[in-house]
Order: sequence, then structure tokens, then C-alpha cells
Amino acid sequence: MTTTTANVKPKPNYEATAWKWMRYSGVLLIPLVWIHVAIQDVIVGVHNIDINYVAMRWANVGWQVYDILLLAFAFAHGMNGLRQVSFDFFTSEKARKNLSWVIFIAWIIISFIGAVAIIGGARLNLLNS
Amino acid sequence: MTTLISSLRTTLAGYINYRGREGHYSFLLHRLTGLGTLLFLAIHIVDTATVYWIPELYDHAIAIYRLPIFLVGEIGLVFAVIYHGVNGLRIIYQDMVNPASWTIARQRRAARWTLILSVIIWLPAALIMLNTLLAHL
Repeated sequence: MTTTTANVKPKPNYEATAWKWMRYSGVLLIPLVWIHVAIQDVIVGVHNIDINYVAMRWANVGWQVYDILLLAFAFAHGMNGLRQVSFDFFTSEKARKNLSWVIFIAWIIISFIGAVAIIGGARLNLLNS
Repeated sequence: MTTLISSLRTTLAGYINYRGREGHYSFLLHRLTGLGTLLFLAIHIVDTATVYWIPELYDHAIAIYRLPIFLVGEIGLVFAVIYHGVNGLRIIYQDMVNPASWTIARQRRAARWTLILSVIIWLPAALIMLNTLLAHL
């Protein structure tokens, strides 16, 4: 008896694409996050960070682009990861759909808050001291 | 509601009772480090964004991060970020580049090396941060 195997390539659906992007964004996040953590947490340190430091960094368009990329990729990767973990605990289609929406809206709102701040920069003029 | 609770219980029991040794532990560690980092990230985006939205709040937020308990947490956060990255690379390598390495023995060895490599990368950073922490006590 002979067996034939066919290479079946299913049409990629949303979940398959999201899963693949977890890998792509993950690879990109290793340099992005590690450099960010090495500079801010290890070399500079939280004791040397204040609003003037943030203002100085975001006065540089290169760091603005860097932080936008970090915000976009890290937070999307994290929120989609949360969605995937939550699917382990919530198995009904309806619950998963609702959860996905809640996570998506939270992602949009927090990303918006962060992106406006990076583009707008630190508003030192609002400080009254 | 009862089905929800029972499904939560089933999943959690599976997380805890599954006996997959290294593969199981690295799965749990990957999830914990990922969720932990996400929790911090969400807070971190909002607190940093205060420099634009409510600038006078930023120094209060930073003052909280300078508390010793948060500095210890920060050292843990750096480990989480390193482990999640190294383990992510292991998963990508074994899954997409070299699927033949998905044997139990090789997976266990890879999982152990992932932890060792993560600690090696983390230690210098942890020592520098511990030094800073002690200097500001």
C-alpha cells in the first residue's frame, strides 16, 4: 500500500498571522528592549532620571523614533500575549471575542496616551516651579 | 459562572500539576516573565506619559520607583526581560529554524542552557543595580 502525502497550505487566518508576528516582533524586541533597559535601568539608573532627562531625550528625533518603535512593538506583543494566555482560561467563543475587544481597546487607549507624550515631548512650561 | 470557574480551575491545575519538567518550567517562566513585564510596561507607559499630560506628577511617579522595594523589583524585571528574550529565541529556533531539535532530550538541554545563559547575561546588570541600590539606602 502506498501513502501519499499532500502539502496542504491552509489559508492564513487572523490567529495564524498574529502568532507569526509574535515571533517577528519578539526578535526585533530583543535589541530594542535590551538596549533600552541597559541604558535606562543599568547605566543611567532611576536616581538620575527626572523630567528634564526625559525632555532632553525626546528633544532628539532619533530617540523619539526609537521610543515609538518600542511602544508600538513591545506593547502590541505584550497585549497579544495576554490575549493568548487568557484563551487558556476562557474557552468559549463568546468569552474570547469579548476579551479580545477589551484588550484591544485597552491597547489603543494606552498606546495613544504614550504616543502623544513621545511626539509632544515633556511640557516643562507647565511646571510652575 | 460555574463553568467559568471550573474551566479556570482546570487550566490552573494543568499549569501546576503537569509534569513536563524543563519544558513545563520554561513554559511557566515564559508566561510569568511575559505577564510581569506587560504589567510593568502598561504602568510605565502611563507614568512616563505624565511628562506631557500632567508634568507635575512625573517626579512623584519617579520617587516611587526609587523606593528600595521597587529597586529590587527592577532587578527582577531585568531578569524577566532577559529570560523572556533568550527563551523566545530558543522557541523560535527550535520551532522555525530547526524543528528536528524538538526531541524531549534536546528540548530539556536547551531549556537548561536558556536559564544558564539568561543568568549569565543578567548577573552583571544585577550587580550594578544592586550596587546603586545599596549606595542610595
